[in-house]
Amino acid sequence: MSEHCAYVGIGTNAGDRNANLSRALDELRNLGTIAAISSTYRTAPWGHLDQPEFLNLVASLRTESSPHDLLDALLAIERRLGRTAGERWGPRIVDLDLLLYDDLTIADERLRVPHEHLAERAFVLVPLAELDDRFAAMRDALPDSELAGVVRVEREGGTMMAPEFSLAISERVRALADFLSSGDAVRVRIVRENDEIEVARRQPYADRARRANDRTVADSTRLRFETIKADLVGIFHLSRPAPSEGETFEADRELGYIEALGIRTPVHSMGAGRLVRIAAADESPVEYGQTLFSIARG
Amino acid sequence: MIANRGEIALRINRACQELGVLTVAIFSEADRDSLHVRQADEAFCVGPGPAGRSYLNIPNIISTALITRCDAIHPGYGFLAENARFAEICSDHGLTFIGPEPRVIALMGDKATAKNVVREAGVPTTPGTSILSSVEEAYEAAESIGYPILLKATAGGGGRGMRVVEDPSELQRAYAGATAESEASFKDGRLYLEKLIRAPRHIEVQVLGDDFGNIVHLGERDCSIQKPAHQKLIEETPAPNLAPAVRASLHEMALRACRHVGYTNAGTLEFLAAGGDVYFMEMNTRIQVEHPVTEMVYNIDLVKEQIRIASGEALGYAQSDLAARGNAIECRINAEDPRNNFAPAAGTVSKLVFPGGPGIRVDTHLYAGATIPPYYDSMIAKVVAYGDTREIAIARMERALRETVIEGVQTTIELCLEVLAAPAFRDGRYNVEFLSNELALR
Repeated sequence: MSEHCAYVGIGTNAGDRNANLSRALDELRNLGTIAAISSTYRTAPWGHLDQPEFLNLVASLRTESSPHDLLDALLAIERRLGRTAGERWGPRIVDLDLLLYDDLTIADERLRVPHEHLAERAFVLVPLAELDDRFAAMRDALPDSELAGVVRVEREGGTMMAPEFSLAISERVRALADFLSSGDAVRVRIVRENDEIEVARRQPYADRARRANDRTVADSTRLRFETIKADLVGIFHLSRPAPSEGETFEADRELGYIEALGIRTPVHSMGAGRLVRIAAADESPVEYGQTLFSIARG
Repeated sequence: MIANRGEIALRINRACQELGVLTVAIFSEADRDSLHVRQADEAFCVGPGPAGRSYLNIPNIISTALITRCDAIHPGYGFLAENARFAEICSDHGLTFIGPEPRVIALMGDKATAKNVVREAGVPTTPGTSILSSVEEAYEAAESIGYPILLKATAGGGGRGMRVVEDPSELQRAYAGATAESEASFKDGRLYLEKLIRAPRHIEVQVLGDDFGNIVHLGERDCSIQKPAHQKLIEETPAPNLAPAVRASLHEMALRACRHVGYTNAGTLEFLAAGGDVYFMEMNTRIQVEHPVTEMVYNIDLVKEQIRIASGEALGYAQSDLAARGNAIECRINAEDPRNNFAPAAGTVSKLVFPGGPGIRVDTHLYAGATIPPYYDSMIAKVVAYGDTREIAIARMERALRETVIEGVQTTIELCLEVLAAPAFRDGRYNVEFLSNELALR
C-alpha cells in the first residue's frame, strides 16, 4: 500500500468550537497520520449575522485510504461530531471537506477534488497556502476584502503552535525517525536554543500495535524512506536471486512476491533506491498491511 | 477460522475453545485492538477498516484460511454468512463452510425464491408476487391483492429498499424510490410486492438439521420489539400469549419447509403472525444475533452444535428429547442515540461495568478503553436474562440493565428499560409497531 497526501478543511460555528476542532483532528488521526495543521482562522459567517463566527483550519493527512473511502470516513466523522444532543438530525457543527488528494482530479457524482470552491474561499485558501506554497499565488489573487474577513487566531489555552514552528518540528522529527530506522541507534536528541527534540525507537510490540500511526514516509526531506507493505494475505517469497539489505538498484526491481490462492503477485521496489531492510521472512505468511521492505530513495 | 468480528467472533471462539478446536481470527486495520483478535489462537489482518475491503474480502479471507491450514470457516452473522458464492468458494478450496449447503443458501437467501419454495411445502406466505418487471405489473398485482401493500427488495434486509404503499397514487414514487435504494444498497434493484399485514407479531422458529436428514426445532422467539427500520431490539422466548395451536403449527411448518429443501445446520424461519393467521416471511440461513435466548431455555450450545454438524456428526437427539424450560429475554445494547433517530455513536468507551448474578448472560466484545470504529454495526453488547417465569426474567433484566455502566458512547440501555416497564410489554401484548408508536408519542 502506498500513502497519499490529502488536505482536509475543517470548519465549525456551533458549540465549543475549539473543542470541535480538537475532536475533529483526533478523529482524523484514526484515518492516517496528520503531517501538518494550519493556524486556526476566524471567519465572519455569510448572510445571517446572528450566527457565531466560523473557526477554520486545514490539516494535511497522510493516508492509505482511497479518495472515496476517505470521503466516507470524513462524512462519518461529521455525523458523529456534528449532531446536537436532543435534536433530531440537529445542525452539523463540524464540516470536513476533502480539498485535495495527491495531484488527483476527481469529478463524479459524489466527490469533486480539488474541492470545487477551493479557489474562491479565503477561509480555505489562507490556511491551505500556509501548508503548501503552491497555493500562495492563488491566495494572493483573492480580493483584499475577502482576505480581510479571515483573521488568524491563537487557540484558547495556547496549545496550538505557530505553523512555521510546527511544520519545522514535524519535518525534523520525521528526518530523525528516518535516520533511526536506517541504523542501529535507538534514541537521538537534538538540542537547540529554543527547542529540543528527542526521537526514540518504539519497542517491537508497541511498533506492531501502533503501526497504523507510525508511518515513516517523508517526502519533505532529501533522503526519503519508504516502506513497502503487503496488500494481500499470502505466503511471502523473496525473488531469486534474493535481494540483500544494503543493495542499491538503479531502476525498478522485483524484490519478492506473495503467493495466494495459486497466484503470484510480485512485489516491486517501485523505482530506484537502496534496500534498507527486509522486514518479512522468506517463505512465511504475511498479513494485510505487513511491512515487507524499507527502501531509501533519493 | 472465524470470518467475523465483534461479539459473535468471541462467541464462536468460545465454542471452539470448549471443543478443543484451534482458532484463527481475521481483522481489519480498524479492529487491530479488538478483543476477538486477542482471544483467538492466531489472528490475521485482511484489509483496511471498510468492510468491503476486509471482512468481505473473499480472496484475503480464503488465503488466510489456507496458509493457516484451517479446516472450516464459521461466518457468524452478517458479512459473508449468507453469501452462497462464498460458501461455494470455501468448498472449492477444501474448506468446510459452517452452515447449510451453498445450494440451500442460494435458494433460501433470495426472499422471493424462498417464498415459492416454502409454498411448495404447503407453508402459507403473505399474498404477493414474484419479482416485478415493471411498475405497470406492480399496479396490476396491487389491485388484485388489495392495498395497503409493501414493496420489498428481493436482496433486501434491515428495511432498506422497502416501502409501504397505502393507495395507487403512491405506487409510482415508492417503486422508483425502493428500486434506487435497493440498487444502491445491494447492487440489485429487483423488487416484489406483498400484502401489508397490519400490526403483526414477528415470530421466528429456530431449527437445527444434520447431514443425515434429522431435523429439530428449538422453539420460537418473539422479535416484535423493533426499531423503526425493522431492526430488532428485544427478543424473548417463548413468545408470550401465543395460542398453543398457533405455536404448534409454527413449529411444524418450520420443520416441513426445512425437510422440503434438505436444510442442514442452524437456521431460522421468520413468520408474521396476525390474529390466528401466520405467514412465512423469510429464512436466515445462519446463526442469529438473538440465538442466546434459545440456548438459555433449551440448555443447548447452538454454535457448538453448528460445528459438530459441520464436522459430520449426527444430531444425536430427536424432537421428543428436547424440552424448553423457563423464559429468556435479550436486550441489544447498541452504540447509538435513540433520541436522535438511532444515529450511530462511535467513540471510545471510558468506563464499563457489566451486570452479573443469577440468570444473566452478557455477550460482548467491549472492554474499558475499547474504541468503537465507525465502519460496522452499532451493536456492542447483548444482555440476556433467564427466569423460570417471564416475570422473573423481566425483573432480572431490569436489574441487570440498571447495573450496566457504559460511558463514552450513547446506548440503547435506557430505551430498553422503558420498553420493559411499558404495560403492553409487561402483559406480553405487543406487535412490531409497538416501539415506533411509543417513540412517536414523545
